[in-house]
Amino acid sequence: MKRLGWLLAFVSVPVFADQVFLKDAGSIEGRIVEQTATTVSVDVGGGVVGVPMDRVERIQKGRCALDEYEDRARKLAPTDAAGWKKLGRYANDQGLSTQAQEAYKKVLKIAPNDAEANGALGLVNLDGRWVTEAESYRARGYVEYQGEWMTPAQAQVLQTEAANDQARRDAEQRARDAETAAREADARAEEAEERAKEAERAQTYYDPLYYGGWGYGVTSWPAAPVSTPKFATASQIRLKGATK
Amino acid sequence: MSRLLAIGVIGLLFTASQAAEAPRTVDRIVADYMAARGGLSKIRAVQTLRQKGHAFGSAGRQAIVVRELKRPGKIRFEFTVQGMTGVYVADNGAGWRVSPLDGSLEPTALSEQAAADAMEQADFDGPLVDWKAKGHRIELAGQETIDGRMADKLAITLADGSVRHDFLDATTHLLLRSEVTRRIKGHDVRVQMTFGDYKKTAGVMFPRKVEVGAIGRPQTLRVVVDSVEVNPPIKDARFTRPATP
Repeated sequence: MKRLGWLLAFVSVPVFADQVFLKDAGSIEGRIVEQTATTVSVDVGGGVVGVPMDRVERIQKGRCALDEYEDRARKLAPTDAAGWKKLGRYANDQGLSTQAQEAYKKVLKIAPNDAEANGALGLVNLDGRWVTEAESYRARGYVEYQGEWMTPAQAQVLQTEAANDQARRDAEQRARDAETAAREADARAEEAEERAKEAERAQTYYDPLYYGGWGYGVTSWPAAPVSTPKFATASQIRLKGATK
Repeated sequence: MSRLLAIGVIGLLFTASQAAEAPRTVDRIVADYMAARGGLSKIRAVQTLRQKGHAFGSAGRQAIVVRELKRPGKIRFEFTVQGMTGVYVADNGAGWRVSPLDGSLEPTALSEQAAADAMEQADFDGPLVDWKAKGHRIELAGQETIDGRMADKLAITLADGSVRHDFLDATTHLLLRSEVTRRIKGHDVRVQMTFGDYKKTAGVMFPRKVEVGAIGRPQTLRVVVDSVEVNPPIKDARFTRPATP
């Protein structure tokens, strides 16, 4: 029995289409590609997420949207623009951005000017040409500052504010330099802590597209395809490479 | 007889034109707004709410969103992308989240700003209901055209001193737009929320389209609400922060 337990701990157990419910809240749905005593690995259709078993509340087996997408995709002819478009809509409805992008790219191969497919891929029609949103913003006179597009005047205000903040910090630093060595060391430590917090706050709001209004708190929303999700660097989740 | 009828008609027309020209007061505008939403009693009868929909960001990004509210002051927001569901919860000011997209599998505190946003959204009634009792001040700041519709602009100074502007449709009396100031990346940013496609559920009007963006910036987030459930059973436990393991 002990030997069986050892085997279960290290041999992969292939199972399909599951939803992994995390302890406390949240879930990961996809296709389980590996399960050991310590980790369950789920192919979410844009990469494989490894979840420590001690964070898993339960696993519910069943077909997932990814299975449905792949079944439908297999039945579609490469020239069936309407079919691929319908499948792209299905994938988007299910939150499968990577698959939606894949389906809409098939549409563009058949119909390069299809408005829905171009829009779904984040392209904008600018004077009869499909361009990226960034290109369209630039053409409209916006500038990019700290990852967000805005008017040059707004960027100037933010730059001035940042310069003023830096000047204030420098002045405070100079004042601290005049204090005793011990107090200076304490102050530097505090400043470092504050800067770390500031950097954390900046990271928290790196995505300019969730300001609240309807929903809140989302700080990470990768653009599809999710080939290298941001969580790949997190300590508890690992990306092992997308599967097809 | 016909002369009497003519006098009566003229009298009615005069009264109607007087009413149309009567200055719009804050009290009148707020009362019209409450009536347009379905009336105070129907709004207060909403004890829990579940809304499901999709959020649309730039670069073709799309996510599944679910928002659950429960009186008093409880809100839970779920955000699903590529099979991963993050949960963001606030209960009377204290917020927590589990967000696999950030690599966060254990409950951690919501940021101060996110918790404040959450509490704003957890308020079923909104700042206009009982505004005097809540200690808010409201002034009529004129009229503006929003997406081709004339709107009464209200400047609302909340009890905490912050100022927001609500734009109420002069014809339907529903909320068209709110403008608030949020602290983003260390800077004050004026954020604009535009509401549309109102539909009634359980006698109360809810917007089915919401667009959020910063004034003067081209990127926006759109939320399309596909379904609204009024008073579904939602247990308090869904809002309780789990004990840290």
